Amino acid sequence: MIKIENLTHRYKNRKEDALNNIDLHIKHGESVVLIGSSGAGKSTFLKCINRLVDPDSGKIHIDGKEILNCPIKEAEKIRINIGMIFQHFNLHERETILKNVLNGRLSYNNTFKTILGKFSKEDYEIARNNIKRVGLEEYENERVAYLSGGEKQRVGIARALSQEPKIILADEPVSSLDPKLMREIMDLLKKICEEESITLVSSLHFLDFAKRYATRVIGMRDGKIVFDDKPEELTEQNIVEIYGKTRDWYMYGKLGF
Amino acid sequence: MKLKKTKLPKKYKHFLIGILIVIVYYWALSGTDTSLSSFAKGFPFMVDFIKRMFPPDISNLNVYILKAVETLQMAIIGSSLGALIAFPLSFLAARNLMSNKIVYQTVRAIFDICRGINEIVWGLIFVSMVGLGPFPGVLALAAHVTGALGRYFSEAIETVNPEVIKAIVSTGANKIQTIVRGIFPEVKPLFVNYSLYYLENNFRAATVLGLVGAGGIGMELITSMRLFKSREVLTILIVMILTVTMIDRFSAYLRKKIVNIEVVE
Repeated sequence: MIKIENLTHRYKNRKEDALNNIDLHIKHGESVVLIGSSGAGKSTFLKCINRLVDPDSGKIHIDGKEILNCPIKEAEKIRINIGMIFQHFNLHERETILKNVLNGRLSYNNTFKTILGKFSKEDYEIARNNIKRVGLEEYENERVAYLSGGEKQRVGIARALSQEPKIILADEPVSSLDPKLMREIMDLLKKICEEESITLVSSLHFLDFAKRYATRVIGMRDGKIVFDDKPEELTEQNIVEIYGKTRDWYMYGKLGF
Repeated sequence: MKLKKTKLPKKYKHFLIGILIVIVYYWALSGTDTSLSSFAKGFPFMVDFIKRMFPPDISNLNVYILKAVETLQMAIIGSSLGALIAFPLSFLAARNLMSNKIVYQTVRAIFDICRGINEIVWGLIFVSMVGLGPFPGVLALAAHVTGALGRYFSEAIETVNPEVIKAIVSTGANKIQTIVRGIFPEVKPLFVNYSLYYLENNFRAATVLGLVGAGGIGMELITSMRLFKSREVLTILIVMILTVTMIDRFSAYLRKKIVNIEVVE
């Protein structure tokens, strides 16, 4: 499904690599959770998969198609299959839920119709279906600015689903929510991905959480993969390796779920 | 990081700055012949001039009102034309959209030139190109507004949160779709607000464009002044002040409404 080879990236004016020679193969239907301290490269890694970040070197194949070393037009076509959810939702606050979710259909719409603000009947149907799926059908004409954090992330999920993706990338999807909402949103996301057999790659801050929602945990440190196995294989030794010898991991690990 | 300590004690620094300010004012005053005594000498003439303005002569009032309406028409067309030209160009002058430095710099330079030249100077240029009347006035307003709004529009585009744009890019949208659905919704209220502000500004500018023959109520003003019809001058000034105040208030009210609806709530 996602095949990553020798992925290396360094941001401008930085001395260390954000990603250092990463090799990874993610299979269809997996729920992969990336863990690691801030700055370990989780977010950069996710953004390389749909080429929001153009890495210095390496290859990424999505369903056999190379997304990195190709013209941007080709990459746009591959992106259709990859939905993305963000920590800060990245919605248009002044626009309605429906309008935000319709943006997930942009790649199915032609440019001229987009300029006129028109979408097909099917696009509307799919957008409304997904709004219903995340439980916001009564508020489709409400402005996003009026919604709570949890509701905003539901809109984010509906937008990603409207792409009818095979893969969803979730970059710290619940880090700006409170613990109760965190679970609600992750439960919803996992349920939908299982039903639609969407491959889910997310980055999460808390260990408990990672264990709960992952079929495979990947621990990152300083741009390298230091752990890659089933969540139940994660030992205290591994955790120290991922989060370092500072007792940081303890904080990340225990939130009391 | 270590903060550099100034070598001079604070007391002397303030003293030096004080001397510098005095020198600058002395230099500027001496260059402009500004003096209290010449103001005092001229005062009786000013009183005489004002006396001759009363009572205001309203025999041509209807002409002035028509000219004020023409001024408003000029402002509406000039501002709209400027906004229409500035709108597409501003996307080329936004650093976060235009990676081609030459295009970006060129468009920015055009905006700066348009904005740097005052409406009156544009008026002089266009009057010599297309002749007298309100049309060169409209062109003058449009030229200046293109520069000013272009600059503001492109700066508004640059402040859009890049994360919101990324979300649209990640859906597989192409560049134009990203601009239409990712950037435009974020800058729309600002664009409307700036345009209205310039409509208000342009009405004020249009009242003096007549001084160079580019239409509007200013043309009446300069004619009456040249014929020493001081009483007419006063009437024209009153019409000007009243209409400018009205337009300013109305536009400020509209802008406030838009900001309330679109941004604050």
